[in-house]
Amino acid sequence: MAATAALGGPVGAGAPAGPRRAPRHGRPAALALGLLAALALLVLAVGLSVAVGSRSVPLGAVWSALVAPDGSFVSTVVASRVPRTVLGLLVGAALAVAGALVQGLTRNPLGDPGLLGVNAGAATSVVLVSALVGTTAGRTPWAAVPGALAAAVVVHLVGAGGRSVSPVRLVLAGAAVSAVLGAVIQSLVLARPETFDTYRFWVLGSLAGRTPEVVAQVAPFIAVGLVLALVLARPLDALALGDEAATALGLRPGLTRVVGLLAATLLVAGAVAAAGPIAFVGLAVPHVVRGLTGPDHRWLVPYCAVLGPVLLLGSDVVGRVVARPGEIVVGAVTAFVGAPFLVAAVRRGRVAG
Amino acid sequence: MSVLARPAPPGSVAPLQRPGGAGRRRSVVVVAAGVAVTLATAFASLLLGRLGLTPGEVLDVLGGGGTRIQRWAVLTDRLPRVAVGALAGAAFAVAGALLQSVTRNPLGSPDVIGLGSGAAAGAAAAGLVWPGIVPVPVGALLGAAVAVAAVWLGTGRGFAAPLRMVVAGIAVGAMALALVELALARASREDALDIATWIHGSLAARGREDVAVVGLALLVLLPLALALSRPLAAVEMGDDVATGLGVPPGRTRGLGVVLAVALTGSAVSVAGPVAFVALTAPQIARRLTGATGPGVGAAAAVGAAVLVLADQVAQRAVPGTPYPVGVVTGALGGVYLALLLVREWRRSAA
Repeated sequence: MAATAALGGPVGAGAPAGPRRAPRHGRPAALALGLLAALALLVLAVGLSVAVGSRSVPLGAVWSALVAPDGSFVSTVVASRVPRTVLGLLVGAALAVAGALVQGLTRNPLGDPGLLGVNAGAATSVVLVSALVGTTAGRTPWAAVPGALAAAVVVHLVGAGGRSVSPVRLVLAGAAVSAVLGAVIQSLVLARPETFDTYRFWVLGSLAGRTPEVVAQVAPFIAVGLVLALVLARPLDALALGDEAATALGLRPGLTRVVGLLAATLLVAGAVAAAGPIAFVGLAVPHVVRGLTGPDHRWLVPYCAVLGPVLLLGSDVVGRVVARPGEIVVGAVTAFVGAPFLVAAVRRGRVAG
Repeated sequence: MSVLARPAPPGSVAPLQRPGGAGRRRSVVVVAAGVAVTLATAFASLLLGRLGLTPGEVLDVLGGGGTRIQRWAVLTDRLPRVAVGALAGAAFAVAGALLQSVTRNPLGSPDVIGLGSGAAAGAAAAGLVWPGIVPVPVGALLGAAVAVAAVWLGTGRGFAAPLRMVVAGIAVGAMALALVELALARASREDALDIATWIHGSLAARGREDVAVVGLALLVLLPLALALSRPLAAVEMGDDVATGLGVPPGRTRGLGVVLAVALTGSAVSVAGPVAFVALTAPQIARRLTGATGPGVGAAAAVGAAVLVLADQVAQRAVPGTPYPVGVVTGALGGVYLALLLVREWRRSAA
């Protein structure tokens, strides 16, 4: 019965694939305009991310420094912030789209890689590989994949137990698994302080101090994941009608789930390997977006891919401003911004365990 | 869900234990055993360390003798640490016992519903962001109170919906830890390093003033909690039964929450948000005593033993690398939480 309760939520609520959608959402022209507005927001967030810091640069100077670098101080400052901003773009899109995928696949409105322990699993396997094999191996997204998958499976076994899947119980299981894995990470990091000096901020979720090589390493993972997510948009809409209806429409639900899980894993692994475990982006962004687009994944996924980076880059800028001259890791800011969405989702009562 | 709302272990289905009955005697045994384990571990912790001491030397130091370096090792370094561990463990556990009783659910523990993190945020704010306005323990108290209020408001149904409460607690905890990060970022380098270990719960480098804070808090709050024990046991059986027994249910629950907040605040201000002692210790105590009600005394004794033992494990498990105690309790408590969930779904599946 709990699955039906979850179905009543925004994920499953009437998503007939095709032209007949709820009248309130779904006029393609309005949605396309909205997407343009979201893109404008993204451009603003990118501009701020490059301009704001311990030494701020006027937005106008940013443009000229990016287009025609002249070796001046301002242009060096701007160039030094470009990798961080590109990483924010990639990671924000990855986490938000992964959240949308997980929520669509499991019909769980609380589906967030951070809440379900997947981030913690990915982080643990990155730290383990770094400790056992070496930090170069630990920095590749491959190191994050086994942990992400294992944590997802364990959380599902503990929280669902094969019977009715209750979203709240999954979150609880995610919290338990994250607590254990957090202790494992802590003990590994503390045991070898010299190996893990750079991990201290990574463990909390941070975009700071990443080299262009790191960005280049994770970019293919996230790009493939995003493409798969876009391809999956129609099958996911069909899946929301239930497995039988989806089969009747000529889709293979099992295949959709496997590909969806693969895409979510690639996205999370890439994001965590580069920026550490950042929670709540995957929860908050799809929730906000669904209010704009309705449950249609063909709009949901692109909107998430645009607004995820807006949230992440915006949080990163806020983190750089509020504690000057120091900075707060972006993971703390997203947690502060995103946590109320968890309470809101629970209060709406769709997820009562 | 209905099963989750009834936390009573299998052995405690019996009606209210009469004072002087078998349950009472078992509680006394559990308290005595907890105190004995705590004292034995504490004594062992005074012997161990870089400067190894014999039992005779330690007794000599405690009696007022010993060399200067021995006196420093025992009285300044090791004794405050183990004393803070025992007292904070007891405070966490009593807070857990009270809140679990109020919410009628083992998941309604201060550490699961974000109280500990809230206290940590309050302490960090009082100590680092606006130093000098309020003392750190008061800040911790305020933080815990804000967190519990946020959870209560967040569920929309007060403490009557256990799973909602836990999820609201996860959110409140995440927000509180973000505030701790903010405080850390604004702090000076040395302060920040101190806090970075404290944030996971640590007993390292505790002093006499820390013992005084949590000791005084327990001195006042533990008798109150013990006095509230029987009314809470009546409220656990339902509001109608409690009213029939002459116990006002609303006021009793309110007092229980206030005491739990105060105990958590005092413990967090000296030991940091040590995870899961408040969740596990009262549950262990309940299973050992088999009694109904919050079982404040037994929980206090078990909590002290758990935290002191966990700190020894954290200090000595890997030679040369002392871990903060929160790492050990976090790992063990997380496994316990998972087991609790698995057992609960097994029962509802059966």
